[in-house]
Amino acid sequence: MKKFKRPLTYLFLSIATLISIYPFFWMIVSMTNESVDVTQGRQLPGTHLFENLSKLFDQVDMVTALTNSAIIAIASTFLTLLIASLAGYGFQMYRSKGKDIVFNILLLSMMIPFASIMVPLYRLFGKISQTAPFLGIDTLTAAFLPTITTAFFIFFFKQNTKMFPKDLIEAGRIDGLSEIGIFFRIYVPTMKTTYAAAAIIAFMNSWNNFLWPLVVLQSPDKQTIPLLISNLGSSYAPDYGMIMSAITIATLPTALVFFFMQKHFVAGMMGSVKG
Amino acid sequence: MKQLMKKNNIGWLFIIVSVIAIGMFYFYPMFDALLLSFQSGMGANLEYVGFGNWSRLFNDPTFIQALINTTTYLMVQVPIMIVLALFFSVLLNDETLKFRGFFRTAIFLPAVTSLVAYSVIFKYMFSGDGIVNQLLINLNLIDVPIAFLSDGFWAKIVIIVAITWRWTGYNMIFYLSALQNIDKSIYEAARIDGASSFQQFLKITVPMLKPIILFTTITSTIGTLQIFDEVVNITNGGPGNSTISISQYIYDLSFKYTPNFGYAATVSYVIVILVIILSVIQFKVAGDKE
Amino acid sequence: MKKVLGVLVTLLLLITLAACGGSEDEDTSGDNGGEGTESDGPTEVTAWAWDPNFNIRALELAEEAYDGETELDLEIIENAQDDIVQRLNTGLSSGTTQGMPNIVLIEDYRAQSFLQSYPEAFYPLTDYINPDDFASYKVEATSFDGENYGLPFDSGVTGLYVRTDYLEEAGYTVEDVTDITWSEYIEIGKDVKEATGYNMITMDPNDFGLVRMMLQSAGSWYFEEDGSTPNLEGNPALREAFEVHKAMMEADIVRLHSDWSQFVGGFNSGDVASVPTGNWITPSVKAEESQAGNWAVVPQPRLEVDGGTTASNLGGSSWYVLNTDGKEAAAEFLANTFGSNEEFYTTLVEEIGALGTYTPGTQGEAFEAGDEFFDGQSIIQDFSNWTEEIPPVNYGMHTYAIDDILVVEMQHYLDGRSLDEALSNAQDQAETQLR
Repeated sequence: MKKFKRPLTYLFLSIATLISIYPFFWMIVSMTNESVDVTQGRQLPGTHLFENLSKLFDQVDMVTALTNSAIIAIASTFLTLLIASLAGYGFQMYRSKGKDIVFNILLLSMMIPFASIMVPLYRLFGKISQTAPFLGIDTLTAAFLPTITTAFFIFFFKQNTKMFPKDLIEAGRIDGLSEIGIFFRIYVPTMKTTYAAAAIIAFMNSWNNFLWPLVVLQSPDKQTIPLLISNLGSSYAPDYGMIMSAITIATLPTALVFFFMQKHFVAGMMGSVKG
Repeated sequence: MKQLMKKNNIGWLFIIVSVIAIGMFYFYPMFDALLLSFQSGMGANLEYVGFGNWSRLFNDPTFIQALINTTTYLMVQVPIMIVLALFFSVLLNDETLKFRGFFRTAIFLPAVTSLVAYSVIFKYMFSGDGIVNQLLINLNLIDVPIAFLSDGFWAKIVIIVAITWRWTGYNMIFYLSALQNIDKSIYEAARIDGASSFQQFLKITVPMLKPIILFTTITSTIGTLQIFDEVVNITNGGPGNSTISISQYIYDLSFKYTPNFGYAATVSYVIVILVIILSVIQFKVAGDKE
Repeated sequence: MKKVLGVLVTLLLLITLAACGGSEDEDTSGDNGGEGTESDGPTEVTAWAWDPNFNIRALELAEEAYDGETELDLEIIENAQDDIVQRLNTGLSSGTTQGMPNIVLIEDYRAQSFLQSYPEAFYPLTDYINPDDFASYKVEATSFDGENYGLPFDSGVTGLYVRTDYLEEAGYTVEDVTDITWSEYIEIGKDVKEATGYNMITMDPNDFGLVRMMLQSAGSWYFEEDGSTPNLEGNPALREAFEVHKAMMEADIVRLHSDWSQFVGGFNSGDVASVPTGNWITPSVKAEESQAGNWAVVPQPRLEVDGGTTASNLGGSSWYVLNTDGKEAAAEFLANTFGSNEEFYTTLVEEIGALGTYTPGTQGEAFEAGDEFFDGQSIIQDFSNWTEEIPPVNYGMHTYAIDDILVVEMQHYLDGRSLDEALSNAQDQAETQLR
């Protein structure tokens, strides 16, 4: 029985791997082909890699877009982790009836489709622009401000905090640390893996975000990567080799972040799933 | 007592930033959208119409089609994905398995792609002369290419396959992490009692994972109910309206047609209501008080 | 305790400020521009458009050609068309003019929708242009309430691109496909398929472009002349378009595609024998260099209803000026270039093959030059002749909404529902939806 099951397991996993990876293969292959070949679904690597890349970097401002996306993704990941972990810690460690109710209300916000609040949100930023132009429409800050606080991450940290040993807190109090001190000196270092897992998800969300940056960012020097890719496809005669190159480059950072942090990631996820 | 009160207040300070931010960036616009749902008109020329938008919903064939499609995606895709993710996580939880890390990475990898990028690639794969048709023809499974994207039935299948591809690995990671929290001795004991692998799965794994299954089911439900990028980029709602989703219809009403933000807001409230109902049902079914 | 909290709050503020600081630096250039109208320097004018090789390039050429009195600093912002529509709607509906451009390109089908949804938002160009200088169908599409709001730009004049080698193989010449009806087109298609094995046409069942082409060629549209009363059920041109569509499917001469790249792939790979569409497809056809000499362009086939012609339009857009600071300068810029400069239109043809709808600007060598790819045919000249024959129609406000209704009914019709029922259903839906 056992001998029979093993090959089957490998077979299943290999098929799943193949299906998972094939689209990446095609994406990379298309990066080396010219537009005509891409539209005809060519599966073999071509010789146009250099041409596609040079077109991409000559014709569009890839560097600015990458820089903007990086600034937005890093700033928003950092702030997301800070705000959500404070809240998750607060909700779990200082539980009270009132806080539980507030927490449940916050969870409701996960259910709002973004498309429906986009226009009101834009109007809000229009008002913000008048008093604080550096936070208003067409600033990088505006591109991540509404998306850094999400119920999902608060929930995530609240769940993880459940397995944080209370004795550590008591020990901290005895040592004379303030409540905030306990959070930054004890909680944060202990929960490293949780932060890593959250960071990966937050980074990927922010890097790939499209709809909100689209409406709130307008100048070309504020463009992010997803916006740039969307523009590339809008031409009467789009160049698909170039578009595929852009997509591949856009996928790289998220893939790298995952590769380098995946050990912490898996470990970090463990906390969130401990009932 | 005083000490306790003070502690309680400090607790509020930890959460205040989140409460303000979510209130400002979610609930305030949501309230604005609620007001909008009682107004109608083109672009900036809005006027109050009472419940006019709400009654219009039930006579709107496109809305009804979008509602049916979205619930179809939900009922078919979420269970398939959850079961697949569980299945893979159990396979990968075996510590004696070779290349575990490799398989895990490979299956998770789709989750790093942007929604737009992967949708575009799936459209190519399932086009008339795309790789999927070529493969099926070479395997002699079919003679003529299947019109995956221009047939209402197949187009829905492609969307479901695409979402499953993108999110199975993501959910698998949650289960995999949870499995590592389960004490190995429980399985050991079950094995001694003569329980088969399948029995172990049903009697131990699933109950132990119940909270996380519930969590992933709810987040997947929310995600699928709001599905937008995949539909727009793979089929653009077609053929006919046979794959249009509620979010796409909201988008069309706001940006593709002459904008009617009032009616669009009404349609989006349908999603909010649906999510709330489904979450309550899922909690009830799971019987979890958390 | 309070101290620590103070520290925390300060920290949060600092982080936020630091994050903003980064963006603030980059802000300066943009901000100065917005307020620059009153200063002494050149007036800053921003323009939104899509398609780098076409519209954006045209703007750049216009900037070079501009010789007006006001000194201008033109900032061109490139975005996908859907993205522009979305931004305009979000911005205009929220009443925030901040971040909005001075000049924006809008597709003609959507023009009335914008003009009527945001009546105060656009600046009339009536005093800046002479409408008689432009193709009449363009002027009709860009005007509202007696004012010209749009400066007509590119022509979406249609033609039938044919593979001469495939036709020849089936025993037809280019003359045989010139000035034909759609029924004749289908018959030829069957012969071509039999002789060569290739389909006659590639079609996206979700895209009603072909039906719209047919409608306008017969001087008809989805609406009565008021642009808002749906005219579907009793519309002879629409009936015939539906019948032609079904006949094509039944004749089995259609290759199906589901997006732009597959559409382009259809003719680049040599899978189809003809492409009836707008002239803007030319660069994509020419992209497959190995097919040089095997293509010709003839007028599109016509419907057999009263008033059926072989001239029509698909797509095409025009420039609009928003009612914000700097509108006079923006209008002046457009009038000076796209609105009156004949030489500039020659440059447009030479540099990017862009065909305008400014009648005085459609003569000269650039137009007569033969194109080797099309076996020496002067396709620009042909297209510009056909442009003048396009019947004007009122696109109304809801073209895309009706499109989506009809796509569904077409599906039912192909599946066996009667034409009367399909169109009357469509009519009912349109009336409820557009009330």
